[in-house]
Amino acid sequence: MIYLDNSATTRPFNEVIEAMAMCMREEYFNPSSLYAPAMRAGRLLSAAREAIDQQLGGGTRVIFTSGGTEADNLALLGVARNLRGRKGHFITTKVEHPAILETAAELERQGHEVSYIGVDENCVVDVDTLVEAVRPDTALVSVMQVNNEVGAQMPIEEISRRVKEKNPRTLIHVDGVQGFLRVPMSMRKMGVDLYSLSGHKIHGPKGVGALAMAGNARVQCIAFGGGQEEGLRSGTENVPGIAGLGQAVRSYARLGDTAPHMMACKQRLAQRVLDSIPGAHVNGDLAHGAAHILNITFPAKGEVLLHALEGAGILCSTGSACASHKKSASHVLTAMGVSDREIDGALRFSFCPENTLEEMDETATQLAKNVELLRKFVRR
Amino acid sequence: MRNVLLVRMGEIFLKGDNRMFFIKALVRHIKKAVEGTGCSVELTQGRIFLRDITDMEDVIRRVTRVFGVHSVSPVVQCEKDMDAICREAVEMMKSLSGTFKCAARRADKRFPLDSMQINEEVGYQVLTACPQLKVDVHKPQHELNIEVRENAYLYVEKIPAVGGMPVGTNGKAMLLLSGGIDSPVAGYMIAKRGVQLNCIHYHSFPFTSEQAKQKVVDLARQLSAYAGPIRMYVVPFTELQQELYQKCPESQLTILMRRYMMRIANRVAHRANCSALITGESIGQVASQTMDGLCCTNAVCDMPVFRPLIGFDKTEIMDYAEKIGTYQTSILPYEDCCTIFTPKHPQTKPRAEQLAESEKLIDGEGLMQRAIEGIEIINIMP
Repeated sequence: MIYLDNSATTRPFNEVIEAMAMCMREEYFNPSSLYAPAMRAGRLLSAAREAIDQQLGGGTRVIFTSGGTEADNLALLGVARNLRGRKGHFITTKVEHPAILETAAELERQGHEVSYIGVDENCVVDVDTLVEAVRPDTALVSVMQVNNEVGAQMPIEEISRRVKEKNPRTLIHVDGVQGFLRVPMSMRKMGVDLYSLSGHKIHGPKGVGALAMAGNARVQCIAFGGGQEEGLRSGTENVPGIAGLGQAVRSYARLGDTAPHMMACKQRLAQRVLDSIPGAHVNGDLAHGAAHILNITFPAKGEVLLHALEGAGILCSTGSACASHKKSASHVLTAMGVSDREIDGALRFSFCPENTLEEMDETATQLAKNVELLRKFVRR
Repeated sequence: MRNVLLVRMGEIFLKGDNRMFFIKALVRHIKKAVEGTGCSVELTQGRIFLRDITDMEDVIRRVTRVFGVHSVSPVVQCEKDMDAICREAVEMMKSLSGTFKCAARRADKRFPLDSMQINEEVGYQVLTACPQLKVDVHKPQHELNIEVRENAYLYVEKIPAVGGMPVGTNGKAMLLLSGGIDSPVAGYMIAKRGVQLNCIHYHSFPFTSEQAKQKVVDLARQLSAYAGPIRMYVVPFTELQQELYQKCPESQLTILMRRYMMRIANRVAHRANCSALITGESIGQVASQTMDGLCCTNAVCDMPVFRPLIGFDKTEIMDYAEKIGTYQTSILPYEDCCTIFTPKHPQTKPRAEQLAESEKLIDGEGLMQRAIEGIEIINIMP
């Protein structure tokens, strides 16, 4: 099997599985309990916090959540709640993950205002327009680090600098679910106040993620209970999940800079596809996009091509997996100005450090073969 | 003792010499349905009793969906003694109000009182003890039944069940099961008449996905809750569809595809010892189900094709699907890809001769044979 759907989820590292099994077998105590073994469980949490903090440039507070979606919710709704009844203004982009866009829609229902900024043909947000939209009452700007469908990287540092020049009180949130560890992030250096991440996109477990906060950033909790995680995320901590996340961060970091290898895979697959399949083209910027996501439109129906590849043991995705069971066209590609017909033929390949160049060659061969076969069966 | 359930069979009583064949099949199905609940199933003098029931509601729910069961009644069993009978009768009736009548039946003729005398005595006792009740022998709100057999049995409630005939007492048929709303309902209706089901499904990977196939397996499993074990034949249909698409007139694609589906189903049905085909067709619902369309698809089969939904409106079929529990699965959106093979302007008045001409353009025989060789069989248990 060739697995090229790493932006949907990744295979957990063996070390992660072992760390979690050990944790469940031996460190099953509630970190809030008062005896010594409970403190050992608590230390697993702090170790994970430290590992994440280190990867984000230090000086952060890490609030563990059930995943990227909850972290995004906590960032947006938590900042809105911190306005204590006042109505505020929020800015985000048109190509965010539903975890942001649906939460933004909820903010609007609550009476807040939200501006949605468009992107160019490479899916990069228009920074001038974004900065122009900043107002004295703009509470938060939320921009994703890497787009989950086409891999576009957003100019976070520039956005943060210019927004804060205009309104120093505006907070910057970055949805880093598709970026964490694969694209560098230093919250302090880049002026990021809130940062969402998820465990299962970096070979950790599902059901765990975090919202990292700069030292002075403030949000209010959105669920109530026993006051764990600085009162921002009540509920007994998911100790095995968090231990697994911590282990995934350490293991991933030990691989060093994985981007060059994944970029080589991406370039190889793209090149071989473009050479062998007339009519295929890359959505997004091949050279400047993130190394681990490649989106290509084929002259065939994407979903059928996906199943044809599946038949050859190659797994990929149409659009993003989260959006795949909706039948509407991708909002990301639409925002980039891609036509419905081209969206229909789009497939997303997403890589991890374990993928090989041989896998890319095999995938390109299968793609060429099946596109040729299916070309006869486009709807007349 | 209130842990006894009386099960009534409907039409089986109409049967002649082979009545026992039907009753035994019914008992077998009831036993299967209550497996694991710990109750026993007993057949005495043409009546089916379930005893030692711990969870009455659960057992009622299971038994009332067995085809062939007409109605059930939770029964109080007591000694054949007028004092005991009257005591239990009063106990049962005292929480009710309105009108009632007694309906005694004395199967054991050694019992000293005859039916009328039992009615009088029990009625008198109940009236005396429950002043809120009145007698109405013509249209009572409650009918207190007293049966004197090897024991005395009393019951008031009569809970209707699905009816029909025990599955397997009326042969076997092959259901063409798509992922849609109609075909599961059609299968249900025929199974209800005692017919054992086999299913055939056409799978066009990669144009339709694994999920689409899984959905059909799920539907078959839901059907098997009523119809018992189902053998499902999954036919690889991609090659045939592709040939049709490439070589035959576009406007005929759907009807030609339907004809090959019927042909293959007909062959597989013979092999599986089925004596009929079942489809979910209804006149005029889609282009291939016009009168002319149905004639053209019917013409390629040599066994009867049952179309129980033929006169139903779509909304009626949807209500039925809700009732039997297949609707929610049916509306999962998986087969969109198959739209590649649907013509923009399908023929609504096809003629068999024209279609036969088009079919000469492909190697239908070879394609069908390869499709049949590639069949995957899935055995579905309830």
